[in-house]
Amino acid sequence: MRIVIAEDDPLLREGLALLLRAESLDVVATAAGPDGFLRAVDAHDPDVAIVDVRMPPTHTDEGIVAAVEARRRRPGLAVLVLSAYVEQAFATELLAHGSSRLGYLLKERVGRVEEFLTALHRVAAGGTAIDPDVVAQLLARTRPDSGLDRLSPRERDVLALMAEGLGNTAIADRLFVTDGAVHKHIRSIFAKLDLAPTDQADRRVTAVLRYLEDAQRRW
Amino acid sequence: MPTHAPPAAPGPARRWDVFARARTTLDALEHLAGGFGTAVLALVVLLSAVVTALACLVGVGLPLVPVALRGVRAVAGRERARLSRWGPEIIDPEPAPSGLRAALADPATRRELGWVATHAVLGLFLSLAGLTLPLNAVRDLTFPLWWRLLPPDEAATASMGFWTVRDLPGALGVGALGLGWIAVTMLLTPGMARLQAWFGRRLLAPDPGTDLALRVAQLTATRAAALDAHAAELRRIERSLHDGTQNRIVAVTVLLGAARRAVARDPADAKAILERAQDAAEQALAELRGVVRSILPPVLTDRSLSDALTGLAVGCPVPCRIDADVPVRCAASVEATAYFVVAEALTNIARHSRARHVVVRVRRRDDRLHLQITDDGRGGANELSGSGIVGIRNRTEAHDGTFMLDSPTGGPTTLTVSLPCGS
Repeated sequence: MRIVIAEDDPLLREGLALLLRAESLDVVATAAGPDGFLRAVDAHDPDVAIVDVRMPPTHTDEGIVAAVEARRRRPGLAVLVLSAYVEQAFATELLAHGSSRLGYLLKERVGRVEEFLTALHRVAAGGTAIDPDVVAQLLARTRPDSGLDRLSPRERDVLALMAEGLGNTAIADRLFVTDGAVHKHIRSIFAKLDLAPTDQADRRVTAVLRYLEDAQRRW
Repeated sequence: MPTHAPPAAPGPARRWDVFARARTTLDALEHLAGGFGTAVLALVVLLSAVVTALACLVGVGLPLVPVALRGVRAVAGRERARLSRWGPEIIDPEPAPSGLRAALADPATRRELGWVATHAVLGLFLSLAGLTLPLNAVRDLTFPLWWRLLPPDEAATASMGFWTVRDLPGALGVGALGLGWIAVTMLLTPGMARLQAWFGRRLLAPDPGTDLALRVAQLTATRAAALDAHAAELRRIERSLHDGTQNRIVAVTVLLGAARRAVARDPADAKAILERAQDAAEQALAELRGVVRSILPPVLTDRSLSDALTGLAVGCPVPCRIDADVPVRCAASVEATAYFVVAEALTNIARHSRARHVVVRVRRRDDRLHLQITDDGRGGANELSGSGIVGIRNRTEAHDGTFMLDSPTGGPTTLTVSLPCGS
């Protein structure tokens, strides 16, 4: 797996590269700003780009803009965006054109190496990784009559994990239930929320996130 | 018998209350004496204004105009301060325009010119007359003691011509006239002092409507600047916490994660990674300390402004002398502002001025904290060249302070800031 890292903080950039190389992943280039990042993407044709949201010159959303631009140039590129804090607007902007091959995680998740690597592989394989905090914010801010109150507590857990981008098996592992039980929960959720059922993980994530955002916007 | 005594109102004392009347008279005499001082000054600036006007007529007076106007403003300011001491405060107007045309169009300046003329003539006369009355009283009261020393001709006319003074009874009569002078003094001087002050209060007070509007506009602007400075400050803190400290700590967790994975694989490798993680944690701590210091330096709260400034001077790459004499502490916000003004100024000097020495002078005078930062660098600093100076101005004006930058090309540069102490 060929990886490009864009992160302006030198210590963090090196730490990330060190961690990934120790896992025998191929970090082909690192960049300190959006321009260098786009040049590296053009030059090295990576499979995955790991991008910090706040980068020079204005330290606002350069990373998001650069990630969107990189994907425009190379539609197959998987992008994992790292952020120091959860900003749902960034997630929305990022996911505007579908959630396939996209990840949006808090920076400190990298420290939980196993989970981070799982998310990285999932994104590289065409899936989605949305930070649990983003999902929690979406769930917390939906209005009471959005249909979510019709879900059982367990179904809400499943919905949250679906929104993070986990597949059925991963959800089953996380909740210590069988695949079949997860499948049953998901069917029930889709029915209760009037969503078209699908087993394809990324389309499922998109549907769930859209639903949650709509539920929030009507607030 | 019920009397309908008027309530004790400020104004003329009741006639029968001799002591109160005497006090009022002494006050009035004091005011007339003070008025005499400003009246003489007013006469001087009136004459110089007239000379300037005449010089302008023959075409050589224009350079003198700003000097004359400054003189008028200075004397008027002195009178305002004097009147404010024993009555409602009279607020200083905006700084006077220095051009002739602009000054003549400025209502405050025109009123000041009118006051100078009135005070130089009528005010001077009132003071002289008012102060002569008690002198006459003293002269006549003591007359019986020294009349024999006078040549007989002079002594004979001492009774203002009412009678001819040739013997002791005649001299005692003059002494009685002294009592009359006292009565006249007590009767007239309070009114004279009030009349003299009336012109000043009338002509030197700000034009009620325009001045308040100006003041409101000024306050609105400085308030916005205060909020701006506040928001900029919050942004700065957020930025340094976010891009500094937080990133360091994230790096620590990333390195710790990597170390954990490495332990099983290669303990030596893990040790190296842990070493880096510890470095990152120490950096995070150092940056956190820096951020805390930049919010409010602890030495400022624990010790004093001079100590805090000395700390700044030690950290300044340009040799810096702190000359601070602030025996009484000011409000915390004022001291913090002074601290940051000096910090910002020293940073600017170290960055741009190529100065070899800096002197920071701090004084507390008249409930204001005065800062003066002088360097021997290349000068040419202005507000457009760097945001640091704008920041200093914003911080200063947010506290209703004044800010002045004098930086001719080639130096030296002097930054003068004065802040109301607020305590």
